[in-house]
Amino acid sequence: MSQNSNLEFTPAEYMIASMARILKDAENAFMGVASNLPFFAIWLAKQLYNPELTWLNIPGKINPLPTKPPKSTVDFQLLKSSSASITLANIFDMSARGELDVAFLSGVQIDKFGNFNLSHIPDGDKIKIQFTGGAGSALICATTKRVIFWRTKHDKRAFVDKCAVNTATGNVYKVVSPLCVFSKKDGVLNLESINPDSSFEEVSNNTGFPISNAPFTEGPTEDELKLIRDFDKEGIRDIEF
Amino acid sequence: MNKIKSLQESAALVKDGQRLAIGGLLLQRTPSAFIRELARQGKKNLKVMKTAANYDFDLLCFADCVEEITAGFVSFEAEFGLAPNFRRSVENEKVHFNENSCYTVISSLRAAAFGVPFMPIADLKESYLVSKFETVSNPYGNEQTLTVPAIYPDWAVIHVQKSDEQGNAIIYGPVFEDLIMAQAAKKIILTTEKIVSEQEIQKDIDLAIIPGFKVAAVVEIPQGAKPASCYPFYDYSAEQVKEYLSIKNKTELNNYLQQQT
Repeated sequence: MSQNSNLEFTPAEYMIASMARILKDAENAFMGVASNLPFFAIWLAKQLYNPELTWLNIPGKINPLPTKPPKSTVDFQLLKSSSASITLANIFDMSARGELDVAFLSGVQIDKFGNFNLSHIPDGDKIKIQFTGGAGSALICATTKRVIFWRTKHDKRAFVDKCAVNTATGNVYKVVSPLCVFSKKDGVLNLESINPDSSFEEVSNNTGFPISNAPFTEGPTEDELKLIRDFDKEGIRDIEF
Repeated sequence: MNKIKSLQESAALVKDGQRLAIGGLLLQRTPSAFIRELARQGKKNLKVMKTAANYDFDLLCFADCVEEITAGFVSFEAEFGLAPNFRRSVENEKVHFNENSCYTVISSLRAAAFGVPFMPIADLKESYLVSKFETVSNPYGNEQTLTVPAIYPDWAVIHVQKSDEQGNAIIYGPVFEDLIMAQAAKKIILTTEKIVSEQEIQKDIDLAIIPGFKVAAVVEIPQGAKPASCYPFYDYSAEQVKEYLSIKNKTELNNYLQQQT
């Protein structure tokens, strides 16, 4: 068990802390559309672990200083408190040049190879179920150095053996869910650590590809939890749970 | 030439089957009033494009105005869920969704803006999107390079905070892809929060990034982006987005369109 097993935390707080720690040595981090938890992770990393981290986002306002969490990707307070501007097109160009270090992406399905689907479920040549489209993920996943894939629901419909369609492929580095953290090694996802509130059995039963046991993740620390809770008094972090 | 037109007159410039690049992004600075007027006028077979859309493209799908959507993402965000009419129209094969990456939408518009037939782009690895595009051999090296075709919109439709009557216009806050759209399109239709004097534009000349010479119509519509936001004047309205998403059928949609600007 982790040394913090006496602290209670929510699945959102587990994911935020786990993702923030990955940013300890990151040069810059980009969050795309509909990225509530990555917002918290980048904010927390800058507060606690890596103040020099350059924060890039969809409205193209660099290093915002929000006083409370936003409800959408493009929020007025993100626009008003930033240090400089860059266009979304130029953020994609940065990725294409290999200058984007970390990016957060999500999807409807992710498979054991770390490929993911945000496009659709096909039925022959037809489209059976249309999803949202992958936004910038096809480029980002192929060209950003380290991609963190995050998803707020962990079940066999999402964590599949093989995606129906590959919207984005390439540089997936870690996968963070409410149950666990995966890392990609030798072209496949390996279980790295398990939420102390979950178990190997639970992760295994909800994952559509074979995995091997792993230790528990260190749960969110007192410092991490205090910062998150003082910042987010309205519970915006929980809206997707 | 005075380019000031009514909403009805400016939407009448758009012919069935034409291609439109729609400014703004998600619920930001969407030319929503113009979109509703396209729906009221019963446009057909429009081809629309944008990197990331929701209210605008979903409404055009609902009103059967669209034949093809080129975009990277069509959905509302967490609080509101998916874009229901977009999904239904694509699944029922009433609308062709030419799924792109936001980056490839930008690259196709850049090719059009630069006056070149295609644009070499970065590698997309094993993404299925690659199957939609052709590669060329780099004439200055040996490698294969992925490309996207130029896409020329007939119109860029952009909502701005300030324009003079010639269509010289200022955008505050994120420009998103609007400038590339303005460069790529044959002509521009502007809706604006306010029509101001030439002198007022000159005071802020460095922000006047939309040049009037390509603008065919300027329509003054205060609150014209609603339910989307228009920085720094007003934020998006969650209530109005939910009102739209509660519309169940064509009769209700027509009532909604009649009640709105």
